[in-house]
Amino acid sequence: MPRIENDIKLDFKDVLLRPKRSTLKSRSEVDLMRTFIFRNSKQSYTGIPVIAANMDTVGTFEMACSLQKFSLFTAIHKHYSVEEWKQFAKTNPQCIEHVAASSGTGQGDFERLSEILEAVPNIRYICLDVANGYSEHFVQYVKDVRAKFPSHTIMAGNVVTGEMVEELILSGADIIKVGIGPGSVCTTRKKTGVGYPQLSAVIECADAAHGLNGHIISDGGCTCPGDVAKAFGAGADFVMLGGMLAGHTQSGGETIEKDGKKFKLFYGMSSETAMKRHAGGVADYRASEGKTVQVPFKGDVEETTKDILGGLRSTCTYVGASKLKELSRRTTFIRVTQQLNTVFGEGSQQ
Amino acid sequence: MPRVDADLKLDFKDVLLRPKRSSLRSRSEVDLQRTFTFRNSKQTYNGIPVIAANMDTTGTFEMARVFSKHTLFTALHKHYSLEEWKKFAADFPECLEHVAASSGSGQADLEKLCRILEAVPLIKYICLDVANGYSEHFVEFVKTVRGKFPNHTIMAGNVVTGEMVEELILSGADIIKVGIGPGSVCTTRIKTGVGYPQLSAVIECADSAHGLKGHIISDGGCCCPGDIAKAFGAGADFVMLGGMLAGHDQSAGEVIEKNGKKVKLFYGMSSDTAMKKYVGGVAEYRASEGRTVEVPYKGDVEDTIRDILGGLRSTCTYVGAAKLKELSRRTTFIRVTQQSSHMFG
Repeated sequence: MPRIENDIKLDFKDVLLRPKRSTLKSRSEVDLMRTFIFRNSKQSYTGIPVIAANMDTVGTFEMACSLQKFSLFTAIHKHYSVEEWKQFAKTNPQCIEHVAASSGTGQGDFERLSEILEAVPNIRYICLDVANGYSEHFVQYVKDVRAKFPSHTIMAGNVVTGEMVEELILSGADIIKVGIGPGSVCTTRKKTGVGYPQLSAVIECADAAHGLNGHIISDGGCTCPGDVAKAFGAGADFVMLGGMLAGHTQSGGETIEKDGKKFKLFYGMSSETAMKRHAGGVADYRASEGKTVQVPFKGDVEETTKDILGGLRSTCTYVGASKLKELSRRTTFIRVTQQLNTVFGEGSQQ
Repeated sequence: MPRVDADLKLDFKDVLLRPKRSSLRSRSEVDLQRTFTFRNSKQTYNGIPVIAANMDTTGTFEMARVFSKHTLFTALHKHYSLEEWKKFAADFPECLEHVAASSGSGQADLEKLCRILEAVPLIKYICLDVANGYSEHFVEFVKTVRGKFPNHTIMAGNVVTGEMVEELILSGADIIKVGIGPGSVCTTRIKTGVGYPQLSAVIECADSAHGLKGHIISDGGCCCPGDIAKAFGAGADFVMLGGMLAGHDQSAGEVIEKNGKKVKLFYGMSSDTAMKKYVGGVAEYRASEGRTVEVPYKGDVEDTIRDILGGLRSTCTYVGAAKLKELSRRTTFIRVTQQSSHMFG
């Protein structure tokens, strides 16, 4: 018999944060920097824990250069060659503290990762990313990478439930990527029916990880700065962004002109576009689990970054958190049926 | 661990009022006037408790002139100079009974407020408005203003929960502004994730305020006369309107012609547009929390007022309330999934 879990799992859109009494006078007083020491690598981290996703349109070297100025992090996508990495490390050594090198579990991925980490020894973070973090094969892979790189900080995922967060941490990962299907260009939920509402996934996985002194990344589902705040409020140590960072000067891909308007392509890493580009097409036995969209060109990512950080500071002020660290302790979510008054249309802020 | 409140909070769009038996013969019999005596100022109020918001597009002197004719109230925006106030008071003294002077919590704001209240002693109401009424700094500010003006009626906000309503009333405010994020040009919920569905906020805050003999204003989220009726039904003593009053002759700003259609600009007071206008731009450490929209030009606000008051009278008739005062006692909300038929768009 299939089992049905009766309590409703929640997405970002289902909640708002309840304001609380605050002694802060201005949002300029809020400190967004966090410091972590990781469970397995024993390394320490200091920065504003927002991460550009390891997608080939977002996790670019150009993005890393802009985001590191704000102490934000970039998970560089896995399709850069060793030569490109060497060149980047030589010309932008200041960025290396805030980037991770990514890898899948495929043939050749491990060799390439090893070559990159050997060529650029200053890289301290590894991002191991597979669509389904629940496979035994992936658990073994995490163990192998941990054995070879005992003092690198390892991000691994994606999963959405506490027991698998614990398994990956005990297998050597430091930071678990949480999210299956919430992304704006992800179609896993449609194609497979599998998924987990992101807010509930973060609350449950953060609890599991923190019990073992591990950390988590909320990966996917953020559509606006308020969602980033909700992810931190739910207990995420890091928040990873894809769609919100797409369409900028620093994003990968060409700018397209269409009817006088500028666009950039954005697509999931299991979409047909990505698979054609990197694997020569979609294999016969699988369906694409991502889509391709044209996002309006948004200019320099620095403006978007300021908007996100300004929103986060304001959130902290509303709930009385003088540091980002205190946000989840000060968080009470209330359940709602709508986010925004749409009487004048959904509209953008302009 | 973050906490999740299990019960669902409601917006205006989630409910309708259940009709009840009524002995009223016509909606013309309904009395919308209310009389209040305020807890801290001890002053009394008479009027129809609908307020034009203290936004620079809606809280204008022109709006106040029309509103006061109908005994409606205007919270004048804080960007008028002392000279403009003096002139208005000299030309239209009859309006002063139904207006408030506004202020933020900055030192310069307070000094200007003091000068205005000194120059125009007939102003009886003060509207203290900050985005986040939860800061200790604001509580102190309310106490300071109460200390300086013991007999003025003080409106203060915005907050959305009972404990903060009580705190502000005990700090000297008479009427608490309730609403974070419901406004049509407010983007606080998108930018910060913070907010509270307006109907639930009004129900909970009214309960807290009335327990202390205080009053509340439902501020924001009304898109149509029915929403105003729901706000009063939920227990609001006053209802404040922004977007519903935008785009009129009495709203500030130029009428723009666009593709043969007339529009007016309307924007949140923390939007890029407003921050550029008054403080020279958005500060580095913050994000704008409002947006700018073009609303179709709607002509004289008199027609809109008639529409709103007619709607309210009809509501009262449907639930059997002979007076606006009785509306919340006669209110039963039913939960719904749609407001009206969309058959013709």
